[in-house]
Amino acid sequence: MNRHRARALVCLMLAALLALTGCSSRPEDRSAASFAPDEEHRLVVYTSHKEEVYRPIIKEFEARTGIWVELVVGGTNELLDRLVQEQEHPQADVMFGGGVDSLEAYASCFTPYFCRDWELLDPELRSPIGLWTPFSALPVVLIYNTKLVSPGQLTAWSDLFSPAFQGRIAFCDPSVSGSSYTGLVTLLKAVGGDRDETLRRFAVSLDGRQLDSSGAVLDSVADGTDLVGITLEETALKRGAEGAELGIVYPSDGTSCVPDGCALVKGAAHEENAQLFLDFISGLDVQRQMETSFSRRPIRKIQDLASTLPLMENIPLVDYDIPWASENHNKILMSWAFYFGGGEEP
Amino acid sequence: MKKVTHSFRTRLFVGFLVASLVPVLLCSAMLLQVFRLRLDSQTDQESRGQLSRVVETLDSLYAGFRQTALALQASPYVAPALAGGQGESGMVYSELYSATEGSRSAARFDLFNGDGTCLYSTGSAPFGAQLPTHWGVLHAARQAKSLVFAQVDGGEGNSAVLFQGAARIPDGEDGTAGYLVITMTRGDFSRLLEGSYGAQNDLLLLNSYWRTVYATQTSLTDDLAPLLREQLLKGEPLGQSGTPYAYRVALQEEMGLYVVLQYPQSLNPGTRRLLTTVTGGSALVCVALSILMSLRLSRQMFRPIQRLHGAIGQVVQNNLNVYVPPGQNDELGQLAQRFNGMVAALKRNQEQLVENQRELNEAQIRMLQAQLNPHFLCNTLDTMKWISKINQVPQVALMSTDLADILRFCISPDEFVPLSREVEILRRYMEIQSIRLSARCRFEVDLPPDLEDCLVPKMILQPIVENAVLHGLDGVEDGVVRVQVRAVEGNTLRISVTDNGRGLPPELVGPYVRSSEPAGRSHLGLYNVDTILKKHYGPDYGLYLDRREDGPGTEVTATLPLRKEEEPC
Repeated sequence: MNRHRARALVCLMLAALLALTGCSSRPEDRSAASFAPDEEHRLVVYTSHKEEVYRPIIKEFEARTGIWVELVVGGTNELLDRLVQEQEHPQADVMFGGGVDSLEAYASCFTPYFCRDWELLDPELRSPIGLWTPFSALPVVLIYNTKLVSPGQLTAWSDLFSPAFQGRIAFCDPSVSGSSYTGLVTLLKAVGGDRDETLRRFAVSLDGRQLDSSGAVLDSVADGTDLVGITLEETALKRGAEGAELGIVYPSDGTSCVPDGCALVKGAAHEENAQLFLDFISGLDVQRQMETSFSRRPIRKIQDLASTLPLMENIPLVDYDIPWASENHNKILMSWAFYFGGGEEP
Repeated sequence: MKKVTHSFRTRLFVGFLVASLVPVLLCSAMLLQVFRLRLDSQTDQESRGQLSRVVETLDSLYAGFRQTALALQASPYVAPALAGGQGESGMVYSELYSATEGSRSAARFDLFNGDGTCLYSTGSAPFGAQLPTHWGVLHAARQAKSLVFAQVDGGEGNSAVLFQGAARIPDGEDGTAGYLVITMTRGDFSRLLEGSYGAQNDLLLLNSYWRTVYATQTSLTDDLAPLLREQLLKGEPLGQSGTPYAYRVALQEEMGLYVVLQYPQSLNPGTRRLLTTVTGGSALVCVALSILMSLRLSRQMFRPIQRLHGAIGQVVQNNLNVYVPPGQNDELGQLAQRFNGMVAALKRNQEQLVENQRELNEAQIRMLQAQLNPHFLCNTLDTMKWISKINQVPQVALMSTDLADILRFCISPDEFVPLSREVEILRRYMEIQSIRLSARCRFEVDLPPDLEDCLVPKMILQPIVENAVLHGLDGVEDGVVRVQVRAVEGNTLRISVTDNGRGLPPELVGPYVRSSEPAGRSHLGLYNVDTILKKHYGPDYGLYLDRREDGPGTEVTATLPLRKEEEPC
């Protein structure tokens, strides 16, 4: 009897001990949680842009709409693959960034949406079915070192075959860089004629040298390792703004202008907010900032904006077929790998 | 035995453990808890106070900004000057300075025209500096009526612009004459907030969407702010796992500034570990003490008990030479002493017993030895009988025969004999006596035949008869010794021996009185008989001495229970 009572007492004490040591809840987190926005004021954006591009845009978007943006930053292909994986239960609302050719390739992940100002966009740079909304125009340009090359020496793609530049051309591996692949296809289109012959001649001009990142093209030309290079206007402008001695050439035999874009993810949880975002990035205020803030070319005409860039209509363009470039991606890269390797016909 | 010891020890140990450990644990847990609660409420209070102080600072800052904006919007000089691009510069400045009185130390105030060009400034701002009117804070100011604020990615350094506020200055109609722009640098913020939060704490100012405006440490901007924003959006509690910090958030609504106070948790993991270690240490000490005490006490209790137990085992094995040292004079010591006394008593008893046994054995030996002689005597008497018969001495032959019979009767192993046999032996004895006394006496027996088979102790009558012959017939011519046997009341046998001699001195009449010693040789026979009777049958039986009523002489009566020879089953 006594023993039982003692045991009960011990149990009671242990219970009290446990109760005392148990964690007490913290009240202040509750109040912090009340600051969180509700679902209607949220937007999930996957972006492959660099921070200096997306940060001001997101910030302004938030300030104007009151929508909280959750960002997931990554490489274009990485994010697109993720979208494919999440197709059943999409986490993202908007894919922001990546060439529109890449977005085309993942068309199944996106829902067409014609942004508010679609009519005002450059017809060359908008999706006829509204699958994607362009963000900025990215013409392929040739660059040259202004100290080593005189302005008249480089005017067209065909000049790259000149023996003067042989082995001194900065070109990134097209299997690594999407823009480099665009450049290669533009070259094929601009030069015309037999594609294999063009590839072979270009491989001879490169003399077996390829760079492994698109950034290295600028470095290599700027420091004089290479005389000329192939890159995007945006990259060249940015480097030029940083003070590099680079000349930019819009090839007279035509270039391509594949925009990078933004697309609405199919099944997005915050679709209305995503549409607002697409309206915003193609809208006048963002596009007006394009050249000054991001060294990019806007995808719509802005009447009262002074620009240092040559007008789009003055740049000769080749007939760049985005779907064709996407479809033949692997085939062209295989041919290129063959000729670049210096191989004879198998 | 071993097991019992063990379990008792374990019980003792557990008891000690519980008695010492539970209070220690309970106490430390309670102390820890009280300590924690106390510290928690203290830091809670402190952080609350600091946070509200910061918010108050921001409130008053905003109030100053608002006053400035209202004053400039209402000023008759400012709007025309901004709209027209010219005017009384001095007047505008005087308006600007008077409007910013009190707030100027906290921020820089600039006046921009409608195109976003800076025209007037309280600081050394670059005149002609541009701000986009379709983007950022001026765009927001144009849309809103009141002051608006925006976070600016100003970069590193003390003079980096972190925060801008703007208010539209209307031109009197619907248009916009210009803007008041309030610019705050990192230096402004650190001056403003200095001392309003604790020295151990850090402060994070976030805009409406939880992007960092200002942090007291740059690392907070890079690491903490994105984490907090992510946690907020996921609905998780704020905080970095593994860091000893807690967070508290407050909102300054007009400027859209969230103030996040990072303060050390009241009990950081280090302190908690220390306290736990101390508690664990004291618990360990308790365990050790419990073990020690239980061992010691159980030993103190068990050593005497074990010794006692061993001693009892020795006694069981009949070794009485054991002695248990009593040790301390407590209950166990007394137990040992009692045990020792008991063993000593037992030993004495046993020694006594051994002594008795030895004496008994000696008596038996003597008896056996004594039995040897009568056989030899009997045989000798037989021989004598035959020799005397051969030599024609009939008296000797008769005497030898009688003597041999008596002797045989004496040494027979039977203790009780039928009365007839006893009487027969008396006759033999009297034959010898009559030869000795030259037939001067007669012997008569009155034994009813139904009493012949009564059992009496052997040789019980002979001493009485001898006594009668020796004393009663001394000097009497015709002595008659008569033995009369009677049954009284059916269960008592009365055997009386009478003589016709001198009679009995009067003092001897009555029941035979035994003195402690047989009184001289003469009465040894009676003494023995009386003793035998009393020993066999109890104090109610014995001898009775009396004078004969019918003449001279003595009558000795032996009284004993009537017992017949039992029928063999």
